[in-house]
Amino acid sequence: MIRTEELTKSFDNLLALDKLNLNVKKGSIYGLVGVNGSGKTTAIKHLTGIYRQDAGTVTIDGESVYDNTGIKKRVGYIPDDLYFFPNYTIKAYAGFYKRLFKTWDDERYKSLLRTFGLNDRFNINRFSKGMQKQAAFIFIMSAMPDVMILDEPVDGLDPVVRRLVIQRIVEDVSEREMTVLISSHNLKEMEGICDSIGILKRGKMAIERDLDELKSDVHKIQAAYPDEVPPGIEKYKGLNIRHIETRGSVEIMVVKEKEEVIRRAIAQFKPLVYDLLPLSLEEIFIYEMEGEYNEILV
Amino acid sequence: MFQIDLKSRMPIYEQVVNNFKRLITTGLLKPGDRVPSVRELAKALTCNPNTVQKAFRELESQGYIYTVPGQGSFISEPPAEGSEAKAEAILEKIGELVYELEFLGITRDKIVEKIMKG
Repeated sequence: MIRTEELTKSFDNLLALDKLNLNVKKGSIYGLVGVNGSGKTTAIKHLTGIYRQDAGTVTIDGESVYDNTGIKKRVGYIPDDLYFFPNYTIKAYAGFYKRLFKTWDDERYKSLLRTFGLNDRFNINRFSKGMQKQAAFIFIMSAMPDVMILDEPVDGLDPVVRRLVIQRIVEDVSEREMTVLISSHNLKEMEGICDSIGILKRGKMAIERDLDELKSDVHKIQAAYPDEVPPGIEKYKGLNIRHIETRGSVEIMVVKEKEEVIRRAIAQFKPLVYDLLPLSLEEIFIYEMEGEYNEILV
Repeated sequence: MFQIDLKSRMPIYEQVVNNFKRLITTGLLKPGDRVPSVRELAKALTCNPNTVQKAFRELESQGYIYTVPGQGSFISEPPAEGSEAKAEAILEKIGELVYELEFLGITRDKIVEKIMKG
């Protein structure tokens, strides 16, 4: 549904996106993550047709996005830094969106206003940041887009509203197969609702996978030995070890390998007990990025 | 019906699968009962419909539920035959656990006591 191929973009001498390949399936909720400055927002601004790429392609439903009003009418976008015209009330803004989006649903707009408890006669610029986000969300959801692109959507929202927002998104995904791309640093929240994850690293796609597959591929192992930990990392030759440390007679590892392979490798050293735990998305992210920071430190 | 634990390390689809198995084995869901649709469940749990879909596929392939096109999914009758091998395999796993527990100094009496408590 959403696709970039070899997408490249530089700002002056800074290479922001470096042959980025991104692929989001229809009806999927895709989480785009990465450290600050890895190119998430730049990528999003290409997907929404704000930036024009230096090289590569950006397509939604097979059509190029830049300057394509037909596609843009089907895409709802909430940027991280919201902008509203001065002296507009919520009501006036709803009228503006209604003219832009043919798919606008008035019933839904009214019901969302009630759900979030916003008064549509208020000037939107006098709202707090969180309430402006809520208003932006109401407009986008009422526009009934086929694709929704959200940059840090729940940033600044209270837990109650957050849950409401997520609930509404999930509803639209299951009822009309809306496709969603979310960029966020809140990995715990992402883990709860995304089915696919793309991890950006310096403008490139480092990992792009189904979330469950990604999680079943990386494990944390804690093995306790009767006396000492058998020395040397070489003993696990062939295992893809991302991290290893010894604390007393306990060895802790993060290994990128299937469960059975790890179990077989560990069993031959006969630990007293060992635990094999799947990693949380947050842990996977940190271990993936560890190398990145080491390089920066050197 | 049940809750998803977002703090758990267990993947969400696995949690859904396990919760359904428990509802079925405890008899809260009976053979022939209609399973909520993917949509309904995704909404109720506030989780991704694709994840729920995946859990349903897993339950179906394990024979816990079946799907009637256009009508939805239903709880299966417990299999009359062919399940012995599977039960045997699971019993085998209990053997391994008991062995591991004994290794850690837990007596068989204690294990039995725990099993009886459910």
